Amino acid sequence: MGFQFRFEPVLAAWPELLEGAWLTIQLSLAAMAIGLVVAVLCALAKTSGPKPVRVVVDFYIEIVRNTPFLVQIFFIYFGLPALGLRLSPGNAALLALVFNVGAYAAEIIRSGIEAVPRGQIEAGIALGLKPLSIFRHIVLKPALRATFPALTSQFTLLMLSTSVLSAISADELTSMANNIQSRTFSSFEVYLVVTVIYFAIYMLFSAMFALINRRAFSYPSK
Amino acid sequence: MTKLTRRTFGVATGALMLAMLAGSTVPASAQTLDSVKQAGKIRVGMLVDVPPFGLMSTTGQPEGFDADIAAMLAEYLGVELELVPVTGPNRIPYLLTGQVDVLAAALGITEERSKQIQFSQPYSGLGAIILAPVDMEVSSFDDLADRSVGLPRGGSQDPVVTSSALPSTQIQRYDDDAGAVQALLSNQVDSLAVATVLVPQIEQMAPGRYDTKFLLYSQVQGIGMRPGEADLLEQVDAFIAQARAEGKLEELYEKWPGTRPADQQD
Repeated sequence: MGFQFRFEPVLAAWPELLEGAWLTIQLSLAAMAIGLVVAVLCALAKTSGPKPVRVVVDFYIEIVRNTPFLVQIFFIYFGLPALGLRLSPGNAALLALVFNVGAYAAEIIRSGIEAVPRGQIEAGIALGLKPLSIFRHIVLKPALRATFPALTSQFTLLMLSTSVLSAISADELTSMANNIQSRTFSSFEVYLVVTVIYFAIYMLFSAMFALINRRAFSYPSK
Repeated sequence: MTKLTRRTFGVATGALMLAMLAGSTVPASAQTLDSVKQAGKIRVGMLVDVPPFGLMSTTGQPEGFDADIAAMLAEYLGVELELVPVTGPNRIPYLLTGQVDVLAAALGITEERSKQIQFSQPYSGLGAIILAPVDMEVSSFDDLADRSVGLPRGGSQDPVVTSSALPSTQIQRYDDDAGAVQALLSNQVDSLAVATVLVPQIEQMAPGRYDTKFLLYSQVQGIGMRPGEADLLEQVDAFIAQARAEGKLEELYEKWPGTRPADQQD
């Protein structure tokens, strides 16, 4: 009684899978870009912001890092309409991802910022650099360079966690797979194909991260 | 609900054909009514995984709409009741091979099944409908143009909506009934394609906010019996007619919301 693989109905649905994969890539990239900005701002606020701002940022980070992602998604998608904000599944998904990755990445970047030796900053001051220049060139860049591997693994996790978004009917890759699966009953085959696609997306992102690392963070600094 | 898909039905017919092939040893179920009376006991097959028709109670006893109907039938016939749990695919083979005397197993009356077994009068029903806010004017798929419909992925309503909805209708699939219902309640979708069994619960959560717009599909269910037993059919039909006349069926529809046949939906 061998298991009969039925890949035909799954492969026949390739336009759907492609569409889902594309949304997964879009959501991940957008969430990484916006999330990185949120994270840098939060890290800056946490390390050198005024006390009230620090408290707010701390609260945000603790909330996000200590609640399940699925609950955060449900809150944003099902909860916000009660406050009068009705988001499409795609926008709610993006907001949830940014909300989530922003907090995690903020902690990673903060650790990098705190690792910058005090003397380095004093050297910048002694050279007469403006505070913004000091932050950009002397604090942030080394901090990002030092934490880049941790950041990329966080971003990879982010890409994989988009699979949870099917719960709010965002039609990303896993959601499409669930649709195909419920229609064709070839669940094992669908998830096998989808696993391969996720891995391909990961490889793509991995190459992208390596490129960024080489361009932006390699010594000697430009 | 999934018990009633065409696929499980296919399995049932397949199993049935096997049973027939295996079959001259099948008791020539000459007169079920006589044997039931003689044994003082009626064996009723019911599903135990399709609430509210049949489910397992916390103490492991079968209960639900069909269990209540079976108890009433046994009382009507003046015999004891033995409930036999059956599954969607095996219920018709169980009946035809004499493992049970009758079926009260959320069994939809279909033409194909009527070729194999005989059905009583309809006594319950289930289906799926489009539910939307009371003030939204919708009476067909055409009116759902540019609107969204939420539904649970893989539910029986999915293929119906997918094939009939206009291209401009957004179909939003959620992982389960709970997600889809929540999407309607939080205004994330304009309408919901939902099984009738869930409608009373939604009404309870949001009284007066939504009403039924149109029917997606429906089936009525009858008590299944081995074919060619006119006297048993007569008794069972008389029982259902009496239960209906005395308001006992009505009580059961109230007790187990969502079991009322669609044509009697209020």
